[in-house]
This record gives sequence, C-alpha cells and structure tokens, in this order.
Amino acid sequence: MAQETWKNYRENKSFKPPPLKGIRVLEVCTILLGPAGPAFLGAMGAEVIKCEIPPRGDTVRQMVPFGHFFRDQAPAAVHINTNKYWLGLDLHKPEAQKIFCELAAKSDIVEDNMRPGTMERWNVGYRQLKEINPGIIYISKNGFGQWGQYAEENRPSNDGAAQALSGYAWMSSFPGRPPLKSRLYVCDTYGALMGELAVLAALHYRGKTGKGQFIELSQTENIMRTMSWIWPYQQITGKVARPKGNRDVSVCPADTFRCADDTFMAIAAPAPEEFKGLCTAMGKLELAEDPRFKDHLTRLKEKNATAILKIIAAWVRTKKPEEVEQLAKRYGFAASRVYNSKDVVEDAHFRERGFITKIDDPFLGPYDEYEFPVMMSKSPPKVKWSVRAVGFDNEYIMKHFLDKSEDDIKELYQCGALGKWADVQGCRPPSHWDGKAGIIKARD
Amino acid sequence: MSFISLAAMKKAARTSKTKQQSWSDWVRERDDPRIAHTKPEALDDITVLDLSSKSFAGCLCSSLLAEFGAEVLRIEPPEGDFLRICTPYGMLHKGEGLNYLTEGRNKFHITLDLSRPEGREILKDLVTHADVLIETYRPGIMDELGIGYEQLKEINPGLIFASITGYGQFGPMSQSRMPDYDNIAQARSGIQSGTGEVMPEGKSYNECPWAVPTKAGSWIAWSVAGTFMAVGILAALYWREITGEGQALDVASGEAYARLDDYAALWYYDTGIIAERFGNLDVCAFLYCFAPTKDGAVFLGGLRLEMWQAFVDMVGKWDEWGAASWTSLAPFMQREEQLKWASLIFEETRKYTNEELVRMSIEYAKKGRLAPITPVVAPVCSPEEAMKDANWLDRGIFIPIQDPLYGELIAAQAQHKMTESPIRTKWVCRPVGYDNEYIYPKYLGWRPSKLKELKQKGVI
Repeated sequence: MAQETWKNYRENKSFKPPPLKGIRVLEVCTILLGPAGPAFLGAMGAEVIKCEIPPRGDTVRQMVPFGHFFRDQAPAAVHINTNKYWLGLDLHKPEAQKIFCELAAKSDIVEDNMRPGTMERWNVGYRQLKEINPGIIYISKNGFGQWGQYAEENRPSNDGAAQALSGYAWMSSFPGRPPLKSRLYVCDTYGALMGELAVLAALHYRGKTGKGQFIELSQTENIMRTMSWIWPYQQITGKVARPKGNRDVSVCPADTFRCADDTFMAIAAPAPEEFKGLCTAMGKLELAEDPRFKDHLTRLKEKNATAILKIIAAWVRTKKPEEVEQLAKRYGFAASRVYNSKDVVEDAHFRERGFITKIDDPFLGPYDEYEFPVMMSKSPPKVKWSVRAVGFDNEYIMKHFLDKSEDDIKELYQCGALGKWADVQGCRPPSHWDGKAGIIKARD
Repeated sequence: MSFISLAAMKKAARTSKTKQQSWSDWVRERDDPRIAHTKPEALDDITVLDLSSKSFAGCLCSSLLAEFGAEVLRIEPPEGDFLRICTPYGMLHKGEGLNYLTEGRNKFHITLDLSRPEGREILKDLVTHADVLIETYRPGIMDELGIGYEQLKEINPGLIFASITGYGQFGPMSQSRMPDYDNIAQARSGIQSGTGEVMPEGKSYNECPWAVPTKAGSWIAWSVAGTFMAVGILAALYWREITGEGQALDVASGEAYARLDDYAALWYYDTGIIAERFGNLDVCAFLYCFAPTKDGAVFLGGLRLEMWQAFVDMVGKWDEWGAASWTSLAPFMQREEQLKWASLIFEETRKYTNEELVRMSIEYAKKGRLAPITPVVAPVCSPEEAMKDANWLDRGIFIPIQDPLYGELIAAQAQHKMTESPIRTKWVCRPVGYDNEYIYPKYLGWRPSKLKELKQKGVI
C-alpha cells in the first residue's frame, strides 16, 4: 500500500505543484542561520527574494572549505540558498528602503538575522512594515534574541557561540576530554528550521484572523530545547549532566563500535526483541536472560551498560562492517556504518529516493545536492536552483514584482539603491557563464 | 533584569507612544513567554493523532504542534510506549523516564491496542475527527493492520498522514527490519564522521579511544527529523486549505539530519575530498574555533576579515602579526595556515580567563580601533552553567513548569517567541491512559459502561 502511495515519487515530482505556492518571502539574511530558513520555504515552493548589500553580498559567499570555490561559488552558499531570487539592494540608501517597503507590501513573510534594531535603523523594521502590511509575518533570528542582557550588550554571535553557551558542545565529547564543536553548523540550520515552524504556524493563525505578527528566535535557546533530559536531570539530582562520548545514556545498548577493519559502526538494540536479536546475532543468547541485562531500565544502569557495551565492542572488533549490517537486517536490530560524505553522496538508497539529487542549474551547471527531506505525496518540495551572483535577478524582480520601467531601474542603479556583483570569487558568475544562462525573462 | 508585570506593561502602553519606546522593550512587552498564556493559540483548530512508537522524533513532532495549541491525542498501547523507559541511566521521576517527561507536553494520553481488530476500528473512528496522524512504525506495518494511508484516506480524504522512520517509506532500505534510533541516524548522516578529535600523530585508537568520529550528546537527529516533519505538516495543512486535499508525508531520520549538513556533499562532488575530522577548528570557516583559556575554553568567531583583525587587535598583536596589511580571509582558510594560526591564537587565549575574554570583546566593540566591529567570544559552558545563566533565566527558557502530576519541573521551552500566538507549556506529561475518560467520551460519545468494558477487555 505504501508502495502505491510512493510509486514513481522521484520521477513524477516535477509534474506536481509544491505546497507553499503563492507565498512570498523577503529576506535580509546572512551566513547560515538567516538564509537557511527561507531556503526551506523556497524548497517548498515559496517565492523567496534574497536582498543582499551589493557588490559583495552575503558573508557566506566567502565560506569555502580550505579555500575551495566551486565554479567560483562558495560551497556553503550553494547549499543554503535553495530556489531564491537574488536582489542586490543597498538598504543604507533611502531609495532602497522604499523599494523594500514596496516589496514588503506584496509579501507574506519577512526574515532577517541582523543584530536587534538594525532593520529599524534602515526604516524597514517590523514596526515600520506592519504599518504598510498589517498581515506581515516577520521573524528575526540571532544568537541572543531581541531583549535581555546579552542582546542589550549587542554581543555578536554565531553557530559556534550557541554550541558553546548552551552546553551542547560540552555534552558532545568524551569524558575527560575538552568539549567538542560539531562539524555541523547545527545551531544555525536547526535554528533556521525551528524558525520556519513558527512562521508557518503564524501563517495558519493569519489565515484564521488576518493578523500578522513578530517572531524572534535565539539559536542558543533553540538548541537547548533539544537537550531534553539534561535539564530535569540537573534540577532533580542537583548534579551536572556529563558527556559520555558515543554512548547514548538513555538507550542501551546504543554506541559506536570499531570493526575489524578499523571502520566504525553504530548499533542500537534497546527494545526487548531487538536486544534478543543482537544477542542471537552475537551467538550469545544467554545474555538476554542475564539478570544484569534482563530489561531496559536495568541495562541502562551505569555498571550494566558498561558491561554489555564492552561485550558488544569485543564482538564487533572481530567483524567486518557488512557482516554486522547483514546480521542487523536479519535479526531486527539497528546498525549503520558511520557514513562519510562520500558514502552519503553515493548511497544507492538515498539516490533512489531522490534525497541525493542531481541538480541541473543553467547558471552553475550540474551538481549533487540534498533534497528537502520531507517527501510529500501530493505536493512534493524540490530543489531547483541555488546561488546566483549578487543582484543577478534585479531586473526581473523590479519588473515582475514592482512593475518598474527601464527608466526607474536605471535611476535606482544610478543612486546606488540597486547594484550587482563585485568581480571577486564568491560574488561573481562562474567563469564559464555566457552572460545569459539563468537569467529569468520578465513576464508580461 | 527584573520581570515586567502585566500592570506595568499596560501602564507603559498607555503612557508611551510606541515610537519613543526602544525596540527591545517594545518586543518584550509583547512576546515575553510569561504572558504567553494570555494570548490566542495558532493551531487550536487542529486535531492530531500521535501513534508514534519508540521514537523521540514522533514525540517531539507532536509536542511542537501541541505547544501551538493543537489538540494532540497521544495514543499508546495499554502498556505504554517504550520511549517512556528510554531515560538516562535508567532514572525515573515519579514513574516516568526523563526524556518522555519533557516531551509529553500538552498532550492528551490515551491507550489503544492496535493489534486487535476492535482497537483498529476505534482508531478509524478517531481518524474521522483528525487533521493529522503521526506514526513511526516500520514501513508496511500500518498497511498490514489495515490502517495505512491508502486505507485511512478513504475514511478521511483530508487526512495528513505523517510517517517518520529510519529509512523512509520507499527505496531499497525501507523494507529492512531495522528500527530507527538517534545514534544510527547520526552515524548515517555523514556528520558524525567529520566531527571529533584528530588522532595525534603516531598514536592509535587503543591509546586514544576518544580520537574517533563523535556523535552529538543530544538526540539531535531525532529532534531534527521531528521538527522537519512538523514543518512539513504545517505546509501540508496550508496546501489542504487551498486544495482540500490531504496527503502522506515521509521523513527518514538520517536524511533529515544530513540535510542540515552544509558544504560537504558539494565539496566531495567537486573535488572528491571527504570532510574529515578537524577537531575544534573548522574546515569551512575562519576565525571559527574553540580556544583553550586559563579556566576552560571559549568559542572565537569572526567570519569577516575585520572581525579577525579585531581579535588580533584585542589581544595586542596588531603590529606583531601585521594585521594592517591583510586584505582577505582566504589565505587563512587553508589547512596548514589554520593549524599555524591556531597555535598562535591559543598561546594568547591561554593568558586570560573566559570572563576576561568575553569582557574584552564587549569593550572592544565600544573603544577598539575597529569598533563597533568585534570578534565573537563565547564561553564554552557546561549545561549546569547554562541553566544558571541569568540571561537565559530572564528570557524564560527555564521557567519551571507547575505540573499538577509531576510537580515543579524544568524542561526547556519558549524556543521561539511570538507577539500574537506564542507557544506555551500547559503540562509536561501524563501517565499512560490518563485521559481515556475524557477523550473517548468527547470524541466518540462513549458512556462509562463502554469505557469499563473496553478496559476490561484490554483494548484500552
């Protein structure tokens, strides 16, 4: 039955409409926390206009792994800017502020991740925009929110600061070792995702009442929300929660183990039938009856957990990774090799599902990308294109959204309200660009 | 900063015109979580059935909707969901595991034995009243029970049927018997492999068992999967308002978490290079690291050249390191350069305490050569320090929840703040089947005798 629902999902995606068709979003966002949110909406079909200060635009355009640009673009910028229209708009200029207000009057959502008060100084803050468009949903995301001591001290922030301040990094290391920063900009991108949840809830509320609203999100607070047991544990026991490396202290057994070939394998088998399956696979069915391991709550006790994990570790050390995965499938416990980026990109299952998808972008050319991870049977989200040079879609946006004439546009360039890219890597088109590919023709 | 009372707020609103009021005061007056209960709820017209099983992703997903006022019926088997006993070190608080205790919030807890035909008929009756159904069984199980999407949409065409699993509803791995756990999804995402300490030269795993791919301490993959699904559900609700159609949604935990990854896939596609562990430095960003200090460590950030220069100036190395002559961050991002600069930077940060460095950064923003530009400096805190930080206490994330059953409890909340229809926590959790007597009569019109009969039969 489920096969029926999802038959040819990947192949038919392009023929179906996305869920947020008709929603318009304006963003004044930089780096990751800001832009990732509108990108999620863009993947779901919203029309996102990304405003950048020309000619250099978003700082993310310079985020390059060990200095490597991909066809003159920053890899970080490509991934984080799905399906957007690119406007080079210098919000320091009054003429640009006026353009922004005109766009806001025709938009549903505005997003920024500036420091508190910045947008208001540019005359495009929530208090100003709601006079123009009372239904506007406006979200500001940053490290510390809009009020409170840290916000008032005007502290700058970013993902790493949130990982540090929340205790998240502290909890993600091995005992006795220094706290560890995740390779993932998790507080940025997860913060962005949670922000869109609030935005969509606000959209639902607006549908019922006609009212817009202001939303704020601190990425530090948001990551704390995921640290579930840690807070009541500290409150109830009066003790600080401690990191345990790869061991999951709430699920037993669940840990990362080393295989015979020195590759790594994550295993989890906490439920009774799963644990029994693992014991059978190890050829040690008697462990399922062992009083130390007889049920989950008993197994989770520090001494017992340490004991069972040691037994499993010794077993995995003798196995090849594919052997363990085969046994997991057969006996119904969970096991996965620790995938690296190559494994993910090349995984047949991810490709079959269209999660790893080939983008054929007229501006950038072909590349592999992650699809939006919520598959929707009737209104599939999809990644269509990504980063463009700064101000790439200026003409289209001015004509299509605001009915500006050629003369109006010329004036806007002359006063510096509109601008295009600097001739530097990260900001300009790829060297193979023919001067045309990717340009959207303004509709009549 | 003290809490602003409602009366004071009303007075302020009367006496001051919004134009003179500072932005931060204006916002706080409207979105302080302490007044959330006085405001309307965004999703109070939505009914959700949460059948999730052994899944924090499912539980968090329905919590996120319940925080917005959706009426969530949490449906468990009569013995309760296994997730209730997934708790650190086996610890229970008043009979509940701590993870479940934080994500039972605002939900009505009922029981129903779906392994019996009678139970499934009752579920179908509930489905006629529902907008959303969340489930986390292995693909195929719901179909086998006759309550899969294709079957339920006949009863309720507007139903949004949301499935969260390890590998999704289709694709070669979907039919594997493997269950979905957070540490598995973290491993599958490609993120764990690139996170962790680098093996010191000449050492082995036996000597340094911590220099391995390292997962995050929290259930982050499960959280991300649940949040993506909640976002998908709201998008599907929007779509339904326009078209009248429900649909099936499919999230795989490993994919959801992998989607948050940034440059790694493209970098591999373009160069064949795999994002390897780089300890507390960053492959794709500079200045961006954890740096040791006299009394711990701080995060240092400055993704623009001026912020890096400001850091150098702040620690008094402007001239010695030649900061004035730098024109781009690019040279610093190379691997070898990063390693070289890291040791120079750490030598400086070790001279100060966390607090001193934080203050230096705030002062630099006022008086420094490049002010107001200043580097990001943030202490690496333990969760105990985080929980006592006056800034977060003031912002209301740790306001104790007064739960009628579990007493005063701290569970993180108010992760976003809204002026019109904010989230709130009404209660943290409920025991298994606690709301049977309320929900079944409300939705299905059952009389007490019917409740009693089905309870005796073990259906609920």
